[in-house]
Parts: sequence; structure tokens; C-alpha cells
Amino acid sequence: MNIALALSPLLVVALGALLLMLAEAFSPRQGGLALGAATVLFVGAAVAGGVWMYGIERLPEAASLAPWLLLDRFGLFFDMLLCLGGGLAALLAGGYLVEHGIERGEFYVLILFATLGAMILASSGDAVTLFLGLETMSLGAYAMTAFRRASPRAAEGALKYFLLGSFAAAILIYGFALLYGATGHTDLAGIGATAATARTPLLVVGAVLVIVGVAFKVSAVPFHAWTPDAYEGAPTPATTFMAVAVKAGAFALLLRVLLIALGDASWTSWAAGWPPVVATLAVLTMTVANLIAGRQESVKRMLAYSSIAHAGYALVGVTALMRDPTQAGASVLFYLLSYTVSTAGAFGALILCGSHGREAVSYEDLSGLGRRHPAAALAFSLFLLSLAGIPPTAGFFGKWFVFKAAIDGGLYWLAILGFVNSVIGAYYYLRVMVYMYMREPAAGAPVALPMRSGYVTAALLVSALFVLALGLVPTRAIEVAVRAATLGAG
Amino acid sequence: MIATYAPLFMLLFFAAFLASVFYVAATFLGGQKKPNPGKQAPFECGSESSGGRHLKLSVKFYLTAILFVVFDIEAVFVYPWAIHFRALGWLGLAEMLGFLAVLVVALVYVWRKGALEWET
Repeated sequence: MNIALALSPLLVVALGALLLMLAEAFSPRQGGLALGAATVLFVGAAVAGGVWMYGIERLPEAASLAPWLLLDRFGLFFDMLLCLGGGLAALLAGGYLVEHGIERGEFYVLILFATLGAMILASSGDAVTLFLGLETMSLGAYAMTAFRRASPRAAEGALKYFLLGSFAAAILIYGFALLYGATGHTDLAGIGATAATARTPLLVVGAVLVIVGVAFKVSAVPFHAWTPDAYEGAPTPATTFMAVAVKAGAFALLLRVLLIALGDASWTSWAAGWPPVVATLAVLTMTVANLIAGRQESVKRMLAYSSIAHAGYALVGVTALMRDPTQAGASVLFYLLSYTVSTAGAFGALILCGSHGREAVSYEDLSGLGRRHPAAALAFSLFLLSLAGIPPTAGFFGKWFVFKAAIDGGLYWLAILGFVNSVIGAYYYLRVMVYMYMREPAAGAPVALPMRSGYVTAALLVSALFVLALGLVPTRAIEVAVRAATLGAG
Repeated sequence: MIATYAPLFMLLFFAAFLASVFYVAATFLGGQKKPNPGKQAPFECGSESSGGRHLKLSVKFYLTAILFVVFDIEAVFVYPWAIHFRALGWLGLAEMLGFLAVLVVALVYVWRKGALEWET
């Protein structure tokens, strides 16, 4: 019974996905599935929160089920985060797909299954479970990317995503195969125990391959090439899902691998461990993505590069794990939460600004929006300010905690580079606001008109609530993140 | 360590060397090249080739293939369970029923969607 209780967040989402699939089979194109999917995911988040409140340490049987599925606070935190992100994406899809005439129930089923995969990934303690979750998540995301079947752009993006994603999965599993060869374990704890005592070349090569595979999934530079095309070609709710849930799932995987399998002091030292590798990835990711994002002519593509840059900021926090795993881990978790609501909100506002026949794509589509549609412009501004990291929004404290973790870990240069980058980043976020409030559309030019949708409005309200709440009173959330980052200790 | 493999490397070297010698010599000693349309045509079992290169296959072949894979994998999981049926007991039975239920939902879905109908 306890096992079922501990597994209940996963079970809720899995059963919901199956029921929705049957509903789609027996009453196709009736609509309302968006509401169903969002309900399932929000209930999943609530159930995960309930298990957290009940106290995971009161479910000892479930904990001993491990090591293949780690039912701990870390996993529960990600269950809540992923369900929130997936639920927001489902709500956005409810408005977007209908408006643009590509409404099919399968989209919501795919969101549910992909979220389930990400949840399994976040709870996995074994290379086999981990790969199962990763593929469940990725296959759903590939299919969602290709959802606009008639569009060559979507096909191009989906093909690039699929090929590079499978390639990355192959590299990752090859890395785990080598780790298994070197240690004789497939579970992360077992790998960690052996890796702490003996370091062989095989082990190092395996660890590098695993980190490369995960870097593909979080789209860190130089493994980001697929991201802009896939994000641009996908329908915007699918882009939201990829930017939010897939990225959070990949970060959960990265944290688990670095903390459990490579968490020994010999591996977390600057001289002989992974921190320089992760720090290099962080610097490259932030700098390259920010410089390219400023030159984009499409707002959607700019947001795609922005999501790459934000992976870089989160990697700054991951580097700081070398000194204080709990504090730095908590900063990454909080960062992912603030990034999830800000990004879902920004993409949602972009969806709201376009309507049937013309999506809002270019900066010109948004010009004069502040006068034409003040509410849409206001919502967009809020999420852009949060992404730029300006108080009193969630993004400010997200960046604050991550950079503070880096400074506490003695990585002053990394924190300074991160700060410089967030100043550069502010340029292209504010550019959107300049267009919205200080420009007027050229006379007679076709511009996108905002749409009306209760679903999108609801998603924006939920995100805005989180962005403001985390920006005004972050203490409660950071406490939760600290408890989640305390791996293993009940 | 390396010395143990020396004969192997020598063998590799001689094989590569001889192959290149024969390859180069064949261009001088071999038959003459007199291309004609018959020789240039793509070889297709002796019969004349027809049709373009871009052949579109109906999606139903892929559907059938993927369904075959799905239910083939199911059998892969069911066989080991059947062999250890008694040892796994009621919990094993319940888990297998759950697994099969998920697959039945998938089957119902593809059935309703018409993926099992060959002639449409």
C-alpha cells in the first residue's frame, strides 16, 4: 500500500494518459481534452505535494524499493515542477491548436506521456530506468515537434531534433555501458561507490560520454545546434513543453549523475574532476546563446536562444555543486522553477499575441501592442522582465541564488561572467518591450492580431501568479528547494 | 606488450601493401574501358529498370511494422514471466495483467483509429 502511495504521482499521470487516449479513441475531435490533460497534470502536482506533506520518510518500504527508482524529495520536487510545466503547456495547447486548426487529441496524450517520462527520469536511480524515462520523454517531444504535418519547417525541425536526440541518447547509453564495464554496476549509487575508490581510464571516458549526452539534452553549447530549429518549427505549446519540462528533466538527470554517480570528493575537485568541464559548458552556453539571441529577427527564435542561455545560468549553479551540494543544488532547483514559470508565460504571451492565419513571429508583429492590446503587452512584459532577472520577479531571485552559490563556492569569475551575460541578455528582452510600447506598425503592414482564449489566459494567470509570488516571497520556495536538494537524507 | 602484436601488424602491412600493388597494376594490365549505353545502365537483375528513384510507400506498411514490433516486444516480456510463473506468484500475475492492460488500451486505440484496416 505504501508503495502505491509513494508511486502515486507517477500512477496518476500514467492512468490519466491512458484514459485520455481512450477518450480520444472513442470520441475524437470533441475538444475538452486540453482541460482533461491539464487537470490530470495539476492533480499529479498536487498528489506529489501531498506525498511530500505526508512525509516521504514515513514510506520506508517504498524507499527500500530503490535503487532503480528513487522515491525521495528530490524526485517529488521534480514531479511537481514537471507537472506544473506540462500542465501549463497543455493549457496553452488548448488555445493554440484550436486557433490554428491543428487540434487533435493526441497532442495532449503526448504531453502526458512525455511528462510521465520526465518524471521517471527525475526519480531514476539506475541507468536502465533512466534510459526508459529519457526515451519516453524524448519520443513524445519528437512527435509533438512534427505535429504541424503540412509545414516543411516543422518537418525540418523535427528531423534535426530526432536525429541529434537519438545520437545523444546513443552517446549517453554508450557512456553508461562503459561505466558498467568499469564498475560492474548499473545503479548510480553502485557506480558512485566504485568510482570513489578506483579511477580507470574507462571510467573517465564513460563519465565524459554521459556528460556529453546530457549536455545535448539540456542544449548546452556546443551541443545546442538542434535547438533553434526544433523550437521554431514546433507548434508553440510544444516549444513550451520542450523548453520547460524536457529541460527540467534533463537537469534532474544531470544532478542525479553528478551527485550520486560522480559525487565523491575525488570527482568533485577542481583539479581532477568534472567542475572545469561543467564550468566551460556554462560559460560557452551563456555567452554564445546571448550573443546570437540579440541578432534574431524572430521573437520565437530569440526565446529559443534565451532558453539555451538560461541552461547556461543553471549550469553555473551545477558547477557550484563541487563545494556545497545542498545549497548549490537548491539554487539550481529554484532556478528551474523560476525559469519554468517565466518561460511558459513568455511563450504563452507570444501565443496570445497571434491568431488564426498569422502567428506573432517577428518583432514587427508586436509593434504597438501596448496601445492596441494593453493586457497582452503587460503580461508579455512581466515574463520578459522575469527572464531578464529584474526584481520583483521570480527570475531575479533565480539568478541571485545561482550566482550566490557560485560566489560561496569561490567561483567569483564564473559569477561575474554570469552577471555580465545577464546584462547582455536584458538587451534583447527589453528590445521586445521597446517594440511593444514605443513603436507603431508600419501603415498597411499585415500584423498579427491577438486571440481570445480562456485556456491561454488561465495559463498566463497561473504563471504570473508564480512569477510574482516567487519574486516577492522566495523564502518558502527556497526552503522547499533546500530540503529537496538534500539527497538521500529523508 | 606491443611486441606481442608485431606479427599482426606486419601481416596488416603486407596485406595493405599487396592490395595496393594489385590495384595499381590492374589499371595497367587490366581490360580496356569502352563505355557504351548498355554498360552504363544501372543493373537490375538483367531486366530493364523502370520508374523514378523517389518511390512513395503507403504509410500502412509502417503502421503494420510498428504494431508488429509492439506486440513482438510484448511476447518477449511475457515468455520469461510464464517460465517463472509460480515463483513470481500473485504479485507477478498482477504486474503482468497491468502490463497487458496498458497494451490492450493501445490496441483499442489503434483499432478505433482504423490502423488495423488494410483496405480503406
